[in-house]
Amino acid sequence: MSSPTPAPPDRDPIPQAARPATTPPPWPQTWILKVIMAVTGSIFVAFLLFHLAGNLKVFLGAEDFNHYAEWLRTLLNPLIPGSGFLWAFRGVMVASLVLHVYSGTTIWLRARRARGVHARKFLLRRIGSRTMFWTGLIILCFIVFHILDLTMGKVVAAPGFDPGDPYSNLIHSFSRPPVAIFYGLTMALIAVHISHGIWSVVNDLGGTGKRLRNVVFAVAGLIALVVVCGNLAIPVAVQAGILTVG
Amino acid sequence: MRLILEVWRQESPRVPGRLEAYEITDAREEMSLLELLDRLNHQLVEENQEPVAFESDCREGICGTCGIDVNGVPHGPENNVPACGQHVRSFADGDTVRIEPFRAAGFPIIRDLIVDRTGLDRIIQAGGTVAVDAGTATDADTLLVTHEQAEAALDFAACIGCGACVSACPNGAAYLFTGAKLQHLALMPHGKMERGKRARSMIAQMEHEFGPCSQIGECALACPAGVPLSAIATLNKERLRALLRRKDN
Ligand code: HEM
Ligand code: FES
Repeated sequence: MSSPTPAPPDRDPIPQAARPATTPPPWPQTWILKVIMAVTGSIFVAFLLFHLAGNLKVFLGAEDFNHYAEWLRTLLNPLIPGSGFLWAFRGVMVASLVLHVYSGTTIWLRARRARGVHARKFLLRRIGSRTMFWTGLIILCFIVFHILDLTMGKVVAAPGFDPGDPYSNLIHSFSRPPVAIFYGLTMALIAVHISHGIWSVVNDLGGTGKRLRNVVFAVAGLIALVVVCGNLAIPVAVQAGILTVG
Repeated sequence: MRLILEVWRQESPRVPGRLEAYEITDAREEMSLLELLDRLNHQLVEENQEPVAFESDCREGICGTCGIDVNGVPHGPENNVPACGQHVRSFADGDTVRIEPFRAAGFPIIRDLIVDRTGLDRIIQAGGTVAVDAGTATDADTLLVTHEQAEAALDFAACIGCGACVSACPNGAAYLFTGAKLQHLALMPHGKMERGKRARSMIAQMEHEFGPCSQIGECALACPAGVPLSAIATLNKERLRALLRRKDN
């Protein structure tokens, strides 16, 4: 009587992983994800600059700032009635965020798989590119915090939140040292994220020209610097007592 | 010169590997890293031990056969130089030098320092060629190429296919390699005829076995042929072009 034989050993000296691919490439293909990252990332960068310009109105005083906030809510009135534009804009931002986070996470996971088990040594000179996922994750937490704090006035907001007085809400929130510090740190991480991110955009959209690449590389650093310095000025001014309520 | 070599030893793809330390007491500054491994192998053979398996051919930087990680950097400490052109003078007397195979999931180890780089061959098979009837050589001026165009294409044709870009990449990506081939052929009249088709198939094949690019830039520092980093952007450029154009050329 014959006993069952084990499966024949794989005698091919080339491991399975290295034989010609018979499966379709990963879906969605990485180049598509990268283009999605580039488009949504650019939308965020444009938003950041726009947002910064609005934020800096805080230095012009309560009236200017609150007027600006009201203007935002009723933008494109009467063409688009009520807060219609604002909600459409929010829809685009949320959709972009979902796509950006999905693509970024997928790319990050694929990268970890393709690297193999022998991790590359950590290179300080590439810290921005190596930490995109982690800086992104902290930014995501910050976005949730920030909306609860200053848009919705829920959970983490300072006591006495008044939807009609964004100026005071801002000052009250930033008067809390931990909030000011968290905000400042996140701005620094955003600067790291976008300085590498903008450089990535030119690559992902196929910018091969020498001058274009040099210009974008420099502009990326400049935008990051402007965003971090501009936004940091606000909590610093609040903590220093330069910006106060009333 | 005395050096301690920590060398990756692995009998076959299926058994785990380990680093083993060997001492070389008579290394000389002018030795290349491959000659250092030759020296080690003489020593091992004299001691009746199994020599270290590693690959090399031309030993003058043109074939792309040599490929080892030295202290975690592909080819060795000098940027843009293949292992056969790296010298012992980069190290100081008494240094420990860690020599490993190229590291990437797309490069499985065959034995010791030899890895299977046929993943790169499969990318080339997917479209890194020009489908012309080669026949007998035509007159040199049948297809006119300007000097500038030829020079630009040569910057990318310089790739020797060693795989250092993949090993240098913390994402295990083969963008510099694939992008170099796409850019080289996109600049030449023969290559232009299948430009779109080539981008689609080479990139799909690349994505089977290699990782995504995160614009880290290590590849171009390691590349012994000095392929410019813009090759990584060429990849998406050619793919987007194929998407919008919807033609084979
Ligand atoms: C203010 C918000 C944000 C801005 C302005 C921003 C901007 C950018 C830009 C411009 C890029 C480059 C895209 C490209 O590859 O071409 C990028 C990449 C990336 N982002 Fe964001 N991002 C933001 C939020 C986030 C969040 C919330 C995550 C969550 C995980 C994230 C994760 C990533 C990752 C992982 C990459 C790198 C992808 C790669 O390896 O190529 N980002 N970001
Ligand atoms: S042996 Fe030919 S390039 Fe090093």
